Amino acid sequence: MGILDSAPVPRRTMVLFFIVDTSGSMDGTKIGSVNAAIREVTPMLDEISSNNADAEIKIAVLQFSSGCEWMYDEPKSASEFRWIDMEADGLTDLGAAYQELSSKLSRNAFLNEATGSFAPVLILLSDGEPTDDYQRPLEKLKENKWYKAAIKIAIAIGSDANRDVLKEFTNSSEAVIEVHNVEALKKLIRTVSVTASQIGSQSSAAGVKDKQTQVTESITKEVEQIDGASSSAAPAIGSSSDDDWD
Amino acid sequence: MAELKPGTTVDLISGGQIKVVKELGRGGQGIVYLSEFQGHQYALKWYTQQYPDTFYNNLKHNIEQGSPSKGNEFLWPLMLTKRQYDSFGYVMQLRPQGFSEFGDFLMAKAKFASISAMITAALQICQGFYFLHLKGYSYQDLNDGNFFINPQTGDVLICDNDNVTAQGQNTGILGKARYMAPEIVAGGKPDKYSDYFSLAIILFLLFYGNHPLEGKKVLSCPCMDEVNDRKFYGSEALFILDKDNKENLPVRGVHTNVITRWPLFTKNLQDAFIEALSQDLIKNSTKRIIESRWEKVITSMRNLLVVCKNCGNETFADIEKQTACINCGKPVTVDYQIKTTNYGNIVLSPKKNVFLGKSKQPVAAVRINKADPSVWALQNLSTTTWMVETPSGKLKPVGQNEIMPTKPGLKITFSQGEKGEIV
Ligand SMILES: Nc1ncnc2c1ncn2[C@@H]1O[C@H](COP(=O)(O)OP(=O)(O)OP(=O)(O)O)[C@@H](O)[C@H]1O
Ligand SMILES: [Zn+2]
Repeated sequence: MGILDSAPVPRRTMVLFFIVDTSGSMDGTKIGSVNAAIREVTPMLDEISSNNADAEIKIAVLQFSSGCEWMYDEPKSASEFRWIDMEADGLTDLGAAYQELSSKLSRNAFLNEATGSFAPVLILLSDGEPTDDYQRPLEKLKENKWYKAAIKIAIAIGSDANRDVLKEFTNSSEAVIEVHNVEALKKLIRTVSVTASQIGSQSSAAGVKDKQTQVTESITKEVEQIDGASSSAAPAIGSSSDDDWD
Repeated sequence: MAELKPGTTVDLISGGQIKVVKELGRGGQGIVYLSEFQGHQYALKWYTQQYPDTFYNNLKHNIEQGSPSKGNEFLWPLMLTKRQYDSFGYVMQLRPQGFSEFGDFLMAKAKFASISAMITAALQICQGFYFLHLKGYSYQDLNDGNFFINPQTGDVLICDNDNVTAQGQNTGILGKARYMAPEIVAGGKPDKYSDYFSLAIILFLLFYGNHPLEGKKVLSCPCMDEVNDRKFYGSEALFILDKDNKENLPVRGVHTNVITRWPLFTKNLQDAFIEALSQDLIKNSTKRIIESRWEKVITSMRNLLVVCKNCGNETFADIEKQTACINCGKPVTVDYQIKTTNYGNIVLSPKKNVFLGKSKQPVAAVRINKADPSVWALQNLSTTTWMVETPSGKLKPVGQNEIMPTKPGLKITFSQGEKGEIV
């Protein structure tokens, strides 16, 4: 090896977590949209990753219904990641998901890269109420350093979703976005994944707003452009709260 | 998001409209479109993030002032659009073919064709910084996305000049911590001294292929969040090859490039980085190494760049450090040199292009006799005629493209009075 045949610079890794509610009420177009949207956004994440000398993006997916389950047993790089369609059935064991997340947000589990990691991005999607005890697992999760450092966004699907529960996860009502139709859900998944990954996978901007604030502000601005999406920072204007799912 | 569809026209503040043709690419701040104005094609950078009036007005100011150099080193903003479609953008020239983003070099997707091209790129980056500072500007957001480089020739294009402002000003757009001076990471205002720090980072990445502050200590931090960014690039920034403190050494198997290349480049380059990234200069911004000094260091290194007579690859005739070829390990001999008045000693070798100082154009090239490779000649590649004085005092003109022998004692007068003697 000489001067000219260089090896790629070591990059850190940024893991993007999708934590998806696959309870029975998600059945039909909701889960269908989630499947389609994440499948479509993967190549975009791959592109962001391959043009980024700061960090590589990896993806991990945890689905929860009656219990919870990872799509793959380790985070996959965006270039290798293949989405497997999820089916919706069962309860909403959010507590089980929090517990599982706590155990994997660790240097000994999912964040064991030799070249280190950036703080992860956690995207939680849910359309309902937790059916198990989620409080205690959440308290434990909140002690996790990776969780604390993470960029956190929650997507509330439809008006049955418990926004207060989601707010407890993100720590801020601005980071909880509501969607009221399939198109909005798809657009939002794309926007949130791309924006959070773009900001999350770069060496942080010196001296300015933290990454969570940048992501929340940027998403809030885009939410204003999406019919059927709203957040406390970008309330829907004049739209009925009637859900339009089928 | 304020995206533009093909066919959309946008009003320019200078009058007229520019038409969007198609998307060329997108980044964190915006989308770049191929577009058309008065029958010519341009690139239109359209912002998808919100920017304050200070940013817009600064851009307008930069357009009015024009590019800091007459050459084409900068993809400088040429025209500004009105605030329209919930955003705005600026117009610049299209990037010519053959250029790769600096990030592609870092990720080994692009590679320099020669050490000579790498050196040219480094000199052009210094030159670009120099012009910018000369006009009183400094960078706000300097990072690996700011440079396009031609891997064959080393030509550099400096882009993203929307983040260039008058020194001491602040548009609120600040660069990536990895590329910024520690005092900026800590919240200070960018100025030319913070740019000098970024310049050292960029040059180190270019030559050695790893980040100069990312070694063992940084690697042992599992989660690089903003608090740690501020530590490793700010308050605790430590050069991986710091003379005294070995806590942040490069790690085998991870920081492969710098481990390989550090001993291969010349001693004077090593010394310059050890100084530029010493704790003293990290902390005392006004002492930092300025462009003209980097140019001196890099041109002296270029003076020592030769082609190995054994393997035919580029190597250095670095008397201070090594005399073995960096490729084949055979000894490198110095047959002839040109001793110049202002630019040091230039070692000659077969196929060597001779540059005087930081000049982009070689002034001469060494040619060898095909039948007898021990016979060398110097060809005049400049546009002026040289006057050559022989040891016995005769004067001989050597015109453009003409050759002269590489005989010790011959004294050449190049253009602008620069003199060199073959020794
Ligand atoms: N003048 C140009 N001609 C052709 N292509 C260009 C030009 N300027 C930018 N591009 C392309 O457009 C894309 C986005 O541009 P750019 O990187 O400047 O956006 P950005 O928002 O500043 O990104 P960053 O996140 O690096 O700040 C890049 O892929 C680049 O190759
Ligand atoms: Zn050799």
